[in-house]
Amino acid sequence: MLMSNVFYKLIVVCMVIVFVLPFLVLLVWSFSQSWPSNALFPNELGLRGWTYIFSPHSKVLSSLGLSLLISLLVTGIAMLICIPAGKALGIYDFAGKNIVEILVLAPIIIPTITVGMGIHIVFIKYGLADTVVGVILIQLTVVLPYGIRIFASIYKALGTKWEEQAKVLKADFWQSFRYVTLPFLYPGIVSAGILMFNVSFSQYFLTFLIGGGKVVTLPVLLFPFVNSGDRVVASGLSLIFILSSLVLMIIIEKTVSNRVEQTEFYYL
Amino acid sequence: MERKNNSKRRAVAFLDLLKPYIYLFPALGVIVVFFLGGFILALIQSLGYFPAIGLDDFTLNYYKEVLSDPQFLESLGYTLYIAAVSTAISTVLGTILAYALLKTSLKNSIISFLYKIPIAVPHLVAALMIVFILSQGGVMARFFIKTGLITETADFPAFFFTRNALGIIIIYVWKEIPFVAFMVYAVMKNIHRNLGEVASTLNASERQVFCHVILPLSMPSIISASVIVFAFSFGAFEIPYLLGVTYPKTMSVWAYYSYISSDLMERPVAMVINIVISLICSCLVLIYYLSTKKYLRRWD
Repeated sequence: MLMSNVFYKLIVVCMVIVFVLPFLVLLVWSFSQSWPSNALFPNELGLRGWTYIFSPHSKVLSSLGLSLLISLLVTGIAMLICIPAGKALGIYDFAGKNIVEILVLAPIIIPTITVGMGIHIVFIKYGLADTVVGVILIQLTVVLPYGIRIFASIYKALGTKWEEQAKVLKADFWQSFRYVTLPFLYPGIVSAGILMFNVSFSQYFLTFLIGGGKVVTLPVLLFPFVNSGDRVVASGLSLIFILSSLVLMIIIEKTVSNRVEQTEFYYL
Repeated sequence: MERKNNSKRRAVAFLDLLKPYIYLFPALGVIVVFFLGGFILALIQSLGYFPAIGLDDFTLNYYKEVLSDPQFLESLGYTLYIAAVSTAISTVLGTILAYALLKTSLKNSIISFLYKIPIAVPHLVAALMIVFILSQGGVMARFFIKTGLITETADFPAFFFTRNALGIIIIYVWKEIPFVAFMVYAVMKNIHRNLGEVASTLNASERQVFCHVILPLSMPSIISASVIVFAFSFGAFEIPYLLGVTYPKTMSVWAYYSYISSDLMERPVAMVINIVISLICSCLVLIYYLSTKKYLRRWD
């Protein structure tokens, strides 16, 4: 019994080391000034990478801003429309429900490149290509399925009994949603918000294709660095990328979940 | 009076019937217009209907062209290989990690936060980090040179731009193990809390509890996690594009090159590849679901 406990601890610790170690490499790279190709450690540390990143001509800060703007808008719009959709799927039985369920699952299964390339020509025709609006519209289709599935399962568990109770107490539609249903949705809002934000924030292909290289978000900026280019700058960029998504996750969690006890939701 | 009430009631009932459709309308509208629309447009263009470049006849010629291309089977095989190996490894190791997490019962420790970090890391960043570590000029190669195990960087095995796609698989596995573990752990915790004690009261050994209680009951979440991982790695573009071998290309990379080709006649070819990827991916997911259906009995 004790032996097996040690064994499981070992598995967990080993895996966590494998998950965390790469970040340390990234951190060291971003602060290195010179790192000869045969040395295990850089022989000089410095701020060259960070100075470049924060200088105005590197465009890092502007693309960070654009990335945040796009992903927050995508997450916000998706949240507003996936809550009612989740309610429809979670509570009601209606004709065509099977088809709707397949449609909601399909964007997770069908590769984004198929949809992106297929619709590109229409976006060009209607002037949506190469614009932020076009990028937001196409990203919505990618994030919506996740949100809808989360809220459908919450509504399914919730049922209609609370809303009926509110009705008995003569609450109007808005009061019933605001004071009765919404508190039950908080954990879902946290997990859907985090998930949809992440999917949008790290989306490369659709942003690149529909944005035509003109909507330069962080992933578009980072893309060429993966197999060539300045590793010091690439490391700094990656760290900014990770940090901003972590900070956003914490903000979403804090603003919503100090109203309720945090539960561990992260459905798919 | 009676009649008026009746018709009012009927109107309310009718409105109730419409309710789910009203709730669904905005979200489903976006999905139908942009997702389904995109898919149908890809399908139409794959059939050779592309008025913008003067093609307005429906034909199956492009399908014939792609399916008879010697690159087709090689590319499909390479794509399937990457997706299947990454999915298998992530699913097995992810489930083991979930069970180990359950057994160590780390409640609030930093570990339960740390193992989830890769889920939030974009694939591009994951690729970059693993390239820094495993490429021939990477940290690992330098370490082996320092310890004298190899004498020069070229002795270090190549992980990227190789036929075996090891580097790509490692990137996917690094990203997806925590994802699988996360989804499975949530379910295992629930089962353990509810049924673990019952099983041990009945004198079940740890092994029996795992094989007969925990594993079968967490099967639905294991299956759904692995479907998501498979579908993603089968259709993914960025990483094989950046780090894959030049021949064969994965299906998505092949489609992309046909798409951006200056020869516009290649566009329908790109769409054919896209449709083929989508169909194969959906069929595989369907087969997988059907063949594992017996494990999908839920306990709640």
